[in-house]
Amino acid sequence: MAVELNLDEVVEKYRPVVSFKVKKSLGTRTPDWEDVVNEVITQVIEKVKKGEFRGESSIGTYIYTITSRRIVDHIRQKTKVLKGIPEPAILPDPLDDAETRERARILGEAIKRLKPKFKEVLDLYYYQELSRDEVAQRLGISPRRVSERINYAQKLLRRIIKQ
Amino acid sequence: MNKCKFEGQIDNYLLNKLEGGDKDRFEEHYFNCQSCFQKMEERNELIAAIKTRGAWIFKEEPAPVRKSFVPTFEKVYSYFSPRQWATVGISAAIFLVAVFGILPQFKKSTPQFYLSENEVVRGESLSLISPVIDVRAVPSFFEWRQLGQDVDYKIYVYNEKLLWTTSTKETKIDVPEDVKQLMVAGHKYSWQVRAFSAKGNLIAVSSRVQFQIKGDE
Repeated sequence: MAVELNLDEVVEKYRPVVSFKVKKSLGTRTPDWEDVVNEVITQVIEKVKKGEFRGESSIGTYIYTITSRRIVDHIRQKTKVLKGIPEPAILPDPLDDAETRERARILGEAIKRLKPKFKEVLDLYYYQELSRDEVAQRLGISPRRVSERINYAQKLLRRIIKQ
Repeated sequence: MNKCKFEGQIDNYLLNKLEGGDKDRFEEHYFNCQSCFQKMEERNELIAAIKTRGAWIFKEEPAPVRKSFVPTFEKVYSYFSPRQWATVGISAAIFLVAVFGILPQFKKSTPQFYLSENEVVRGESLSLISPVIDVRAVPSFFEWRQLGQDVDYKIYVYNEKLLWTTSTKETKIDVPEDVKQLMVAGHKYSWQVRAFSAKGNLIAVSSRVQFQIKGDE
């Protein structure tokens, strides 16, 4: 039995989630990631309208499945097309969008204002990509403390940026 | 508020440390969990900023520039040749020996005078001559030793309080009749002289000498 859904709400809620998954899978340097997102959303709308969504899973899982398949198809398609074609030129930086760039700058400034104990944990864990245990060992604290510091740093950054 | 069990996987997912089934399960989860998705978006923004600007964010701040002693020393040192420096050193040594070793020997030590238990005056010595012991009758004069030329002396006579004071350039002064009448046999009195230079500076203070008028027996 088909499930009635408010499609506007579904699109509004899931477009950012689908975009996130597509960007993560294809990389923001892939210029057509937005096309893939639009195709996924269109497919979801069509399938729901046709009554293909029967509520056997949550709408989230349903959209996730469509998104994953579309991404796989896209990669297969691209691989076929790109075979034998020279490497494309380097695409623009993902932070090229002015707004994103500005937010990253503000965030960067905020991180610089953190106390050294928070900065060093962000440096080791995210920038140098050490494991949680390695960071803990390097700083002489427990792995749990590493997570706490990261979460607290995030909270502080939220506060600094609000100011 | 209970923490979602998938929350702990956000970092691993964003740092591409989740693989296979774990990754799929986490992705499916955030399609269904708005809270995890929002946290992941926020964390992703933080990681993206760190990845793109980490070199700038975590670069070592240059330590504040300290004024180095060595360049300053070298600059000063370069003013003179070694021979000139040796001359400067010897001159300085001679000067120090003269100031602290030889000159003090030519300088008279200045005595200090106790005006009271708490008051000390440094200056030249001023000695009182008369009266300095008990006297039979009211003294008709006060006398002290001379302290150079052009010195003003100020004399003070006390019983319990100041009885009489006057100034003179002489080293002896007669006691006026009216003051004599204030001094009574059987009582104790004291006196003191202070010497002032022509410019009015205090240069010496005598000790305060006590005497008693015993009267005719």
